[in-house]
Amino acid sequence: MAGSAVLRHVVTFGRVLREGGLEVGPGRLADALTGLDEVDLTRRDEVYWTLRTTLVTRREEIEAFDRAFDAWFLRAPVRPPLRVLERPRGQVPGGRRGDSAPAPAEGGGEGEAALGWSAEEWLRGKDFASMTPEELARARRLIAGAAASRPRRRSRRLRPHPRGRELDLRRLARSSLAGGGDPFDPRFRRRSEQPRKLVALCDVSGSMEAYSRALLLFLHALVGCGRGVEVFAFGTRLTRLTPELATRDPEQALERAAASVVDWASGTRIGASLKTFNDVWGRRAMSRGAVVLIVSDGWERQDASRVGPEMARLARAAYAVVWVNPLKGSPEYQPLAGGMRAALPYVDRFLAGHNVRSLEELAGVLAGIERRHAA
Amino acid sequence: MRFSTIDELASALQRESYLSDTGLATALYLALRLEKPLLLEGEAGVGKTEAAKALARATGARLIRLQCYEGLDVAHAVYEWNYARQLLHIRAAQEGTVVETELFGPEFLIRRPLLEAIESEEPVVLLIDEIDRADDEFEAFLLEILSDFQITIPELGTIAARRRPAVILTSNRTRELHDALKRRCLFHWIGHPSLEREIEIVRLRVPDVPERLAEQAARFVERLRTLDLAKPPGVAETIDWTQALAALGQRELVAGLVESTLGSVLKYHEDFQLVRDSDLVALVAEARGGR
Repeated sequence: MAGSAVLRHVVTFGRVLREGGLEVGPGRLADALTGLDEVDLTRRDEVYWTLRTTLVTRREEIEAFDRAFDAWFLRAPVRPPLRVLERPRGQVPGGRRGDSAPAPAEGGGEGEAALGWSAEEWLRGKDFASMTPEELARARRLIAGAAASRPRRRSRRLRPHPRGRELDLRRLARSSLAGGGDPFDPRFRRRSEQPRKLVALCDVSGSMEAYSRALLLFLHALVGCGRGVEVFAFGTRLTRLTPELATRDPEQALERAAASVVDWASGTRIGASLKTFNDVWGRRAMSRGAVVLIVSDGWERQDASRVGPEMARLARAAYAVVWVNPLKGSPEYQPLAGGMRAALPYVDRFLAGHNVRSLEELAGVLAGIERRHAA
Repeated sequence: MRFSTIDELASALQRESYLSDTGLATALYLALRLEKPLLLEGEAGVGKTEAAKALARATGARLIRLQCYEGLDVAHAVYEWNYARQLLHIRAAQEGTVVETELFGPEFLIRRPLLEAIESEEPVVLLIDEIDRADDEFEAFLLEILSDFQITIPELGTIAARRRPAVILTSNRTRELHDALKRRCLFHWIGHPSLEREIEIVRLRVPDVPERLAEQAARFVERLRTLDLAKPPGVAETIDWTQALAALGQRELVAGLVESTLGSVLKYHEDFQLVRDSDLVALVAEARGGR
């Protein structure tokens, strides 16, 4: 039996783990105690593995668990987790605009008072880069509204449907009871539609600063549309933002996102970031069968030749690749940036996304996208 | 068979040609003793499925395997009614004499893996393989079974497990599983083994392999994992490859034959090219050179 000393030990250890960020509920602690009953308490490895098997639920927690175990059971000096100390508190990009922001030139006469239909239309067409913070705040609702639809796929799951193709035998057998076995009332099922996975990779480097905030608002609204949306930010490196964006309030979501991205407004390493995505997440099949949305101006600061091969890997796994480049909103735009040129052969749809209207167009494309290439 | 210590279980597994480290042995031991499902995660090819199979052999239990896929539903995982038989039965009987309870009796039931595992009289290891491939709906359904070990069939009532099966779930982490499901399970992450252990595993699984070949192949694969590969090879690949080399009568690694058999280790064209372009001869020499 686990003595009361063991009980106290384990309960306190649970508290240490919780401080380390693990979710350790009473159920898990009970499992740990029952588990310890079954093993040799004088053997450190058995105690370690029993606690780890019962208290850890994901691989990412193992490091924190090991640190806590060392600290608590081996009385090693506590090493603080490194990442927390290193990370400077980030700022929301574009939240505070510099003096360089161009003044709202066209349509300046339409002030707060005239917020009618025409003002909204005007706001829809305005480039995000030339919006004042107030205008961006007003555009927020429109951006969120644009994100209402999601790409869909046929599910393998069958649902009853009057015009389905597959016989619903279960219901057929039941309904034919009354008729002495004559299946005179055939029932059918067919495949239902499900939202398709969507993976968004958003460039938050310096050159994208004017747009990344608006696009993150769009992505936040997409995450709110249901499961199966994954969002990553990249500049010089890749950060997964899905958990941060899962908050309902967009301002709070952006703040949390800003805090977790270490390289806001820095340079861009598109090739390296795509590689990290392919290696870490693509290998776990996150991109397989997904619509992949890349938001970037394609300015590769490091080595544009690395972009092509990584785009090829990504496109092979994905259902379709959509690239959004706000610079494309300008009529004179030519895709001359090295990274952009290298990526284009693998892109199925190339869109602007520089204002609300083009985001609405993007949402329409995402909803109706078809696979372009067969291979 | 019952085991009273972790070491006992580990050596029983070894007799079944499965080498486990203390971590995995503890996890499996606790799954048996606490009668809780065990979730095994890890890269492809580290031996997750193999662990369940070996556990079944070591405990003398029957292995029931449910391979998950997208769209897996109750009719394929738990039970289905034998509709053809039902309709024939209604036909054969005189009109109006068949009642519903008769039609939905056990003899018309087709048992799928989960129901089979719950109903079994003999000890069972239930392997729910690649749970991450199933969809959310199925995961939610599984939750119910794994917490109570019982299945409700509307027409028949609730069937409770006579003895709880040992349940092993595996996941390649193509997506994150629901917290609720994880909370029901013990958890163990299987990583790549150490070099010494990998050599032992290869020698155990490829019985007549020359010792030098096993050692060099394991060392070569370990070195491959340090390269920047899209899909680093797992133990399963090491075993396959060594088997291939042994079948070709090799006693040691030779650069030419390494290149022509590398397909059993590297499954992506890019990886293959990368290894061929980095100095293959030097890599082989390194693996042959030892320590």
